[in-house]
Amino acid sequence: MFERDDDVLERVVERLRAPIEMDPTLDARVMVRVARTSRGLDWLARGWEWLRRPRDLAITPLAAAGAVAVLAGLAVWLGSRAAAPATRPGTDTTVVQFILVAPSAASVSVVGDFNDWDATTTPMRPVRSGGIWSVTIPLPAGRHRYAFLVDGSRWLADPSAPRAPDDFGTPSSIVTVGG
Amino acid sequence: MSDAEIVRRVRAGDTAAFAVLVARYRDRLGRYAVHMLGDREDAEEVVQDAFVRAYRSLVRCEEDRFGPWLFGILVNRCRTAGRRATRRHRLFVRDDVSLARTPAVEATDRADWDETVRWALGRLAPVLREAFLLKHVEDMEYDEMARYTGAGVSALKMRVKRACERLRALLTEVERV
Repeated sequence: MFERDDDVLERVVERLRAPIEMDPTLDARVMVRVARTSRGLDWLARGWEWLRRPRDLAITPLAAAGAVAVLAGLAVWLGSRAAAPATRPGTDTTVVQFILVAPSAASVSVVGDFNDWDATTTPMRPVRSGGIWSVTIPLPAGRHRYAFLVDGSRWLADPSAPRAPDDFGTPSSIVTVGG
Repeated sequence: MSDAEIVRRVRAGDTAAFAVLVARYRDRLGRYAVHMLGDREDAEEVVQDAFVRAYRSLVRCEEDRFGPWLFGILVNRCRTAGRRATRRHRLFVRDDVSLARTPAVEATDRADWDETVRWALGRLAPVLREAFLLKHVEDMEYDEMARYTGAGVSALKMRVKRACERLRALLTEVERV
Protein backbone atom coordinates (compact mmCIF):
# COMPACT_ATOMS: atom_id res chain seq x y z
CA MET A 1 0.00 0.00 0.00
CA PHE A 2 2.78 2.41 0.93
CA GLU A 3 6.42 2.65 -0.04
CA ARG A 4 9.04 0.66 1.78
CA ASP A 5 10.01 3.51 4.11
CA ASP A 6 6.41 4.24 5.05
CA ASP A 7 6.31 2.07 8.11
CA VAL A 8 4.86 4.96 10.05
CA LEU A 9 1.89 5.24 7.68
CA GLU A 10 1.34 1.49 7.82
CA ARG A 11 1.09 1.79 11.58
CA VAL A 12 -1.32 4.73 11.29
CA VAL A 13 -3.61 2.77 8.99
CA GLU A 14 -3.42 -0.29 11.20
CA ARG A 15 -4.49 1.84 14.14
CA LEU A 16 -7.28 3.57 12.23
CA ARG A 17 -8.67 0.30 10.88
CA ALA A 18 -9.05 -1.10 14.37
CA PRO A 19 -12.72 -1.56 15.23
CA ILE A 20 -14.37 1.13 17.30
CA GLU A 21 -17.22 0.06 19.50
CA MET A 22 -19.95 2.63 19.64
CA ASP A 23 -22.17 3.26 22.64
CA PRO A 24 -24.38 0.15 23.04
CA THR A 25 -27.42 2.37 23.48
CA LEU A 26 -26.92 3.83 20.02
CA ASP A 27 -29.03 1.13 18.35
CA ALA A 28 -31.92 1.78 20.69
CA ARG A 29 -31.73 5.53 20.15
CA VAL A 30 -31.72 5.05 16.39
CA MET A 31 -34.71 2.71 16.54
CA VAL A 32 -36.69 5.13 18.70
CA ARG A 33 -36.21 7.81 16.08
CA VAL A 34 -36.98 5.32 13.31
CA ALA A 35 -40.19 4.29 15.07
CA ARG A 36 -41.28 7.92 15.36
CA THR A 37 -40.51 8.44 11.68
CA SER A 38 -42.33 5.23 10.85
CA ARG A 39 -45.49 6.34 12.67
CA GLY A 40 -45.41 9.59 10.71
CA LEU A 41 -44.91 7.76 7.42
CA ASP A 42 -47.68 5.26 8.28
CA TRP A 43 -50.06 8.12 8.92
CA LEU A 44 -49.17 9.67 5.59
CA ALA A 45 -49.53 6.33 3.82
CA ARG A 46 -52.97 5.74 5.37
CA GLY A 47 -54.07 9.24 4.44
CA TRP A 48 -52.85 8.77 0.89
CA GLU A 49 -54.61 5.41 0.65
CA TRP A 50 -57.84 6.98 1.93
CA LEU A 51 -57.62 9.69 -0.69
CA ARG A 52 -56.93 7.23 -3.51
CA ARG A 53 -59.68 4.73 -2.65
CA PRO A 54 -62.67 5.17 -5.03
CA ARG A 55 -66.06 5.57 -3.38
CA ASP A 56 -69.61 6.48 -4.35
CA LEU A 57 -70.84 9.83 -3.12
CA ALA A 58 -74.43 10.99 -2.90
CA ILE A 59 -74.55 14.77 -3.25
CA THR A 60 -77.44 17.19 -3.60
CA PRO A 61 -77.46 19.78 -6.42
CA LEU A 62 -77.21 22.53 -3.80
CA ALA A 63 -74.10 20.97 -2.23
CA ALA A 64 -72.59 20.47 -5.69
CA ALA A 65 -73.13 24.15 -6.48
CA GLY A 66 -71.46 25.09 -3.19
CA ALA A 67 -68.49 22.86 -3.97
CA VAL A 68 -68.09 24.44 -7.40
CA ALA A 69 -68.18 27.91 -5.82
CA VAL A 70 -65.48 26.92 -3.29
CA LEU A 71 -63.26 25.49 -6.03
CA ALA A 72 -63.68 28.60 -8.15
CA GLY A 73 -62.76 30.79 -5.18
CA LEU A 74 -59.72 28.63 -4.51
CA ALA A 75 -58.62 28.91 -8.14
CA VAL A 76 -58.88 32.72 -8.01
CA TRP A 77 -56.95 32.82 -4.74
CA LEU A 78 -54.17 30.58 -6.07
CA GLY A 79 -53.95 32.71 -9.21
CA SER A 80 -53.49 35.88 -7.17
CA ARG A 81 -50.83 34.14 -5.06
CA ALA A 82 -48.86 33.13 -8.14
CA ALA A 83 -48.67 36.76 -9.22
CA ALA A 84 -47.50 37.91 -5.81
CA PRO A 85 -43.85 38.78 -5.08
CA ALA A 86 -41.59 35.83 -4.31
CA THR A 87 -41.06 36.95 -0.73
CA ARG A 88 -43.71 35.59 1.56
CA PRO A 89 -45.33 38.40 3.55
CA GLY A 90 -44.71 38.18 7.27
CA THR A 91 -41.94 35.60 6.89
CA ASP A 92 -38.24 35.68 6.13
CA THR A 93 -38.45 33.02 3.46
CA THR A 94 -38.21 33.73 -0.23
CA VAL A 95 -39.10 31.39 -3.03
CA VAL A 96 -36.01 30.76 -5.13
CA GLN A 97 -35.92 29.02 -8.49
CA PHE A 98 -32.83 27.05 -9.43
CA ILE A 99 -32.26 26.36 -13.11
CA LEU A 100 -29.58 24.30 -14.82
CA VAL A 101 -29.14 23.50 -18.48
CA ALA A 102 -27.87 19.94 -18.66
CA PRO A 103 -29.07 18.26 -21.87
CA SER A 104 -27.27 14.97 -21.30
CA ALA A 105 -28.27 14.55 -17.65
CA ALA A 106 -30.59 11.76 -16.57
CA SER A 107 -31.17 13.32 -13.16
CA VAL A 108 -30.26 16.56 -11.39
CA SER A 109 -30.78 17.68 -7.83
CA VAL A 110 -29.86 20.72 -5.80
CA VAL A 111 -27.73 20.09 -2.74
CA GLY A 112 -26.82 22.77 -0.25
CA ASP A 113 -26.58 23.79 3.35
CA PHE A 114 -30.36 24.30 3.33
CA ASN A 115 -30.98 20.57 2.79
CA ASP A 116 -27.88 19.24 4.53
CA TRP A 117 -26.32 18.41 1.15
CA ASP A 118 -28.76 15.54 0.83
CA ALA A 119 -29.06 14.46 -2.81
CA THR A 120 -32.52 13.02 -2.31
CA THR A 121 -34.26 16.05 -0.78
CA THR A 122 -34.50 18.49 -3.70
CA PRO A 123 -34.67 16.74 -7.08
CA MET A 124 -35.01 19.01 -10.12
CA ARG A 125 -37.50 18.40 -12.90
CA PRO A 126 -36.97 18.71 -16.63
CA VAL A 127 -39.18 21.63 -17.62
CA ARG A 128 -38.98 21.50 -21.41
CA SER A 129 -36.96 20.07 -24.24
CA GLY A 130 -33.38 21.27 -24.42
CA GLY A 131 -32.30 19.82 -21.12
CA ILE A 132 -33.50 22.57 -18.81
CA TRP A 133 -33.89 21.44 -15.21
CA SER A 134 -35.69 23.47 -12.59
CA VAL A 135 -36.85 23.42 -9.02
CA THR A 136 -38.41 26.09 -6.84
CA ILE A 137 -37.98 26.04 -3.08
CA PRO A 138 -38.50 28.47 -0.19
CA LEU A 139 -35.28 29.59 1.48
CA PRO A 140 -34.78 31.57 4.68
CA ALA A 141 -32.99 34.91 4.51
CA GLY A 142 -29.22 34.71 4.44
CA ARG A 143 -26.36 33.36 2.38
CA HIS A 144 -26.70 29.76 1.24
CA ARG A 145 -24.10 27.54 -0.33
CA TYR A 146 -25.27 25.06 -2.93
CA ALA A 147 -24.34 22.98 -5.96
CA PHE A 148 -26.01 20.84 -8.59
CA LEU A 149 -25.58 17.08 -8.42
CA VAL A 150 -25.85 15.61 -11.91
CA ASP A 151 -26.60 11.90 -12.38
CA GLY A 152 -25.92 11.30 -8.72
CA SER A 153 -22.17 11.74 -9.01
CA ARG A 154 -21.10 14.94 -10.79
CA TRP A 155 -21.05 18.15 -8.73
CA LEU A 156 -21.43 21.42 -10.59
CA ALA A 157 -21.34 24.97 -9.36
CA ASP A 158 -24.09 27.21 -10.69
CA PRO A 159 -22.54 28.94 -13.70
CA SER A 160 -24.81 31.95 -13.16
CA ALA A 161 -23.98 32.54 -9.47
CA PRO A 162 -20.91 33.56 -7.45
CA ARG A 163 -18.58 30.71 -6.60
CA ALA A 164 -18.11 29.72 -2.97
CA PRO A 165 -14.88 28.67 -1.31
CA ASP A 166 -15.35 25.09 -0.20
CA ASP A 167 -13.47 23.27 2.53
CA PHE A 168 -13.76 20.06 0.57
CA GLY A 169 -12.67 21.37 -2.80
CA THR A 170 -15.92 20.51 -4.56
CA PRO A 171 -17.46 23.30 -6.61
CA SER A 172 -20.32 25.23 -5.07
CA SER A 173 -22.08 28.55 -5.42
CA ILE A 174 -23.61 31.21 -3.22
CA VAL A 175 -27.18 32.50 -3.29
CA THR A 176 -28.09 35.43 -1.06
CA VAL A 177 -31.72 35.62 0.01
CA GLY A 178 -33.23 38.83 1.37
CA GLY A 179 -31.16 41.77 2.57
CA MET B 1 -30.10 -12.70 6.07
CA SER B 2 -28.76 -10.46 3.31
CA ASP B 3 -29.07 -6.67 3.30
CA ALA B 4 -31.40 -6.89 0.31
CA GLU B 5 -33.79 -9.23 2.12
CA ILE B 6 -33.87 -6.95 5.15
CA VAL B 7 -34.45 -3.89 2.99
CA ARG B 8 -37.40 -5.66 1.36
CA ARG B 9 -38.83 -6.57 4.78
CA VAL B 10 -38.51 -3.01 6.08
CA ARG B 11 -40.14 -1.64 2.95
CA ALA B 12 -42.97 -4.11 3.46
CA GLY B 13 -43.63 -2.60 6.89
CA ASP B 14 -41.37 -4.59 9.22
CA THR B 15 -39.75 -1.57 10.87
CA ALA B 16 -38.08 -3.70 13.54
CA ALA B 17 -36.00 -5.45 10.86
CA PHE B 18 -34.15 -2.17 10.38
CA ALA B 19 -32.45 -2.83 13.73
CA VAL B 20 -30.48 -5.64 12.06
CA LEU B 21 -29.03 -3.15 9.58
CA VAL B 22 -28.24 -0.71 12.38
CA ALA B 23 -26.35 -3.40 14.31
CA ARG B 24 -24.58 -4.55 11.16
CA TYR B 25 -23.30 -1.14 10.07
CA ARG B 26 -23.11 0.82 13.33
CA ASP B 27 -19.45 0.21 14.11
CA ARG B 28 -18.16 0.75 10.59
CA LEU B 29 -20.03 4.03 10.29
CA GLY B 30 -18.98 4.98 13.80
CA ARG B 31 -15.32 4.37 13.02
CA TYR B 32 -15.37 6.66 9.99
CA ALA B 33 -17.33 9.37 11.81
CA VAL B 34 -15.09 9.29 14.90
CA HIS B 35 -11.94 9.60 12.79
CA MET B 36 -13.46 12.23 10.52
CA LEU B 37 -14.92 14.43 13.24
CA GLY B 38 -12.48 13.68 16.05
CA ASP B 39 -15.25 13.69 18.61
CA ARG B 40 -17.21 10.66 19.73
CA GLU B 41 -20.39 12.54 20.68
CA ASP B 42 -20.52 14.34 17.36
CA ALA B 43 -19.85 11.03 15.63
CA GLU B 44 -22.74 9.30 17.40
CA GLU B 45 -25.07 12.11 16.46
CA VAL B 46 -24.04 11.91 12.83
CA VAL B 47 -24.36 8.12 12.71
CA GLN B 48 -27.85 8.28 14.21
CA ASP B 49 -28.81 10.91 11.71
CA ALA B 50 -27.46 8.87 8.80
CA PHE B 51 -29.50 5.81 9.82
CA VAL B 52 -32.71 7.81 10.25
CA ARG B 53 -32.25 9.52 6.89
CA ALA B 54 -31.55 6.15 5.30
CA TYR B 55 -34.75 4.75 6.77
CA ARG B 56 -36.80 7.69 5.49
CA SER B 57 -35.33 7.35 2.00
CA LEU B 58 -35.18 3.56 1.86
CA VAL B 59 -37.52 3.49 -1.10
CA ARG B 60 -34.76 5.11 -3.17
CA CYS B 61 -32.10 2.56 -2.23
CA GLU B 62 -31.11 -0.21 -4.63
CA GLU B 63 -31.67 -3.31 -2.52
CA ASP B 64 -28.26 -4.86 -3.17
CA ARG B 65 -26.36 -1.63 -2.56
CA PHE B 66 -27.60 -0.69 0.88
CA GLY B 67 -24.13 -0.58 2.47
CA PRO B 68 -22.47 1.78 -0.05
CA TRP B 69 -25.63 3.89 -0.23
CA LEU B 70 -25.74 4.27 3.55
CA PHE B 71 -22.05 5.11 3.65
CA GLY B 72 -22.62 7.85 1.09
CA ILE B 73 -25.24 9.40 3.37
CA LEU B 74 -22.77 9.26 6.26
CA VAL B 75 -19.99 10.94 4.26
CA ASN B 76 -22.31 13.84 3.49
CA ARG B 77 -23.53 14.08 7.08
CA CYS B 78 -19.91 14.23 8.26
CA ARG B 79 -19.21 17.07 5.83
CA THR B 80 -22.13 19.05 7.18
CA ALA B 81 -21.19 18.34 10.79
CA GLY B 82 -17.56 19.16 10.05
CA ARG B 83 -18.49 22.55 8.65
CA ARG B 84 -20.55 23.29 11.75
CA ALA B 85 -17.64 22.22 13.96
CA THR B 86 -15.27 24.37 11.94
CA ARG B 87 -17.50 27.39 12.49
CA ARG B 88 -17.74 26.54 16.19
CA HIS B 89 -13.98 26.28 16.54
CA ARG B 90 -13.48 29.54 14.71
CA LEU B 91 -15.56 31.24 17.34
CA PHE B 92 -13.16 30.19 20.05
CA VAL B 93 -9.77 30.01 18.38
CA ARG B 94 -9.01 33.58 17.47
CA ASP B 95 -5.30 33.24 16.93
CA ASP B 96 -5.02 30.55 14.29
CA VAL B 97 -1.50 31.59 13.30
CA SER B 98 -0.12 31.08 16.79
CA LEU B 99 -1.94 27.80 17.06
CA ALA B 100 -0.47 26.56 13.80
CA ARG B 101 3.03 27.45 15.01
CA THR B 102 2.64 25.62 18.29
CA PRO B 103 5.47 23.09 18.31
CA ALA B 104 4.75 19.40 18.54
CA VAL B 105 6.21 19.24 22.04
CA GLU B 106 2.86 18.42 23.50
CA ALA B 107 2.60 15.44 21.23
CA THR B 108 6.04 14.14 22.21
CA ASP B 109 4.76 13.61 25.71
CA ARG B 110 1.96 11.38 24.53
CA ALA B 111 2.91 7.82 25.34
CA ASP B 112 -0.16 6.56 23.67
CA TRP B 113 0.20 5.92 19.97
CA ASP B 114 -3.58 6.08 19.56
CA GLU B 115 -3.62 9.58 20.89
CA THR B 116 -0.72 10.58 18.65
CA VAL B 117 -2.50 9.27 15.57
CA ARG B 118 -5.67 11.09 16.58
CA TRP B 119 -3.69 14.27 17.06
CA ALA B 120 -1.99 14.00 13.67
CA LEU B 121 -5.26 13.17 11.90
CA GLY B 122 -6.88 16.18 13.50
CA ARG B 123 -4.22 18.43 12.05
CA LEU B 124 -5.07 17.45 8.49
CA ALA B 125 -7.40 19.70 6.53
CA PRO B 126 -10.85 18.05 6.41
CA VAL B 127 -10.60 17.48 2.69
CA LEU B 128 -7.30 15.61 3.11
CA ARG B 129 -8.54 13.67 6.13
CA GLU B 130 -11.63 12.57 4.22
CA ALA B 131 -9.62 11.37 1.21
CA PHE B 132 -7.09 9.53 3.39
CA LEU B 133 -9.76 7.74 5.41
CA LEU B 134 -11.80 6.71 2.39
CA LYS B 135 -8.75 5.41 0.52
CA HIS B 136 -6.61 3.79 3.17
CA VAL B 137 -8.98 2.99 6.02
CA GLU B 138 -12.20 2.23 4.15
CA ASP B 139 -10.15 0.73 1.31
CA MET B 140 -12.14 2.32 -1.49
CA GLU B 141 -11.26 2.60 -5.15
CA TYR B 142 -10.86 6.13 -6.48
CA ASP B 143 -13.96 5.80 -8.67
CA GLU B 144 -16.04 4.99 -5.62
CA MET B 145 -14.51 7.88 -3.69
CA ALA B 146 -15.38 10.20 -6.57
CA ARG B 147 -19.03 9.17 -6.35
CA TYR B 148 -19.10 9.93 -2.63
CA THR B 149 -17.22 13.21 -2.70
CA GLY B 150 -17.99 14.74 -6.07
CA ALA B 151 -14.28 15.34 -6.65
CA GLY B 152 -12.39 14.07 -9.68
CA VAL B 153 -10.13 11.04 -9.47
CA SER B 154 -6.95 13.03 -10.11
CA ALA B 155 -7.89 15.54 -7.40
CA LEU B 156 -8.52 12.71 -4.97
CA LYS B 157 -5.18 11.10 -5.76
CA MET B 158 -3.51 14.42 -5.05
CA ARG B 159 -5.39 14.78 -1.75
CA VAL B 160 -4.39 11.29 -0.62
CA LYS B 161 -0.78 11.99 -1.56
CA ARG B 162 -0.77 15.28 0.35
CA ALA B 163 -2.45 13.65 3.35
CA CYS B 164 0.22 10.94 3.43
CA GLU B 165 3.01 13.50 3.19
CA ARG B 166 1.53 15.61 5.95
CA LEU B 167 0.94 12.65 8.26
CA ARG B 168 4.42 11.32 7.61
CA ALA B 169 5.92 14.70 8.42
CA LEU B 170 3.90 15.12 11.61
CA LEU B 171 4.54 11.63 12.94
CA THR B 172 8.18 11.46 11.95
CA GLU B 173 8.73 14.70 13.83
CA VAL B 174 7.03 13.26 16.89
CA GLU B 175 9.02 10.03 16.77
CA ARG B 176 12.31 11.86 16.33
CA VAL B 177 11.86 13.93 19.49
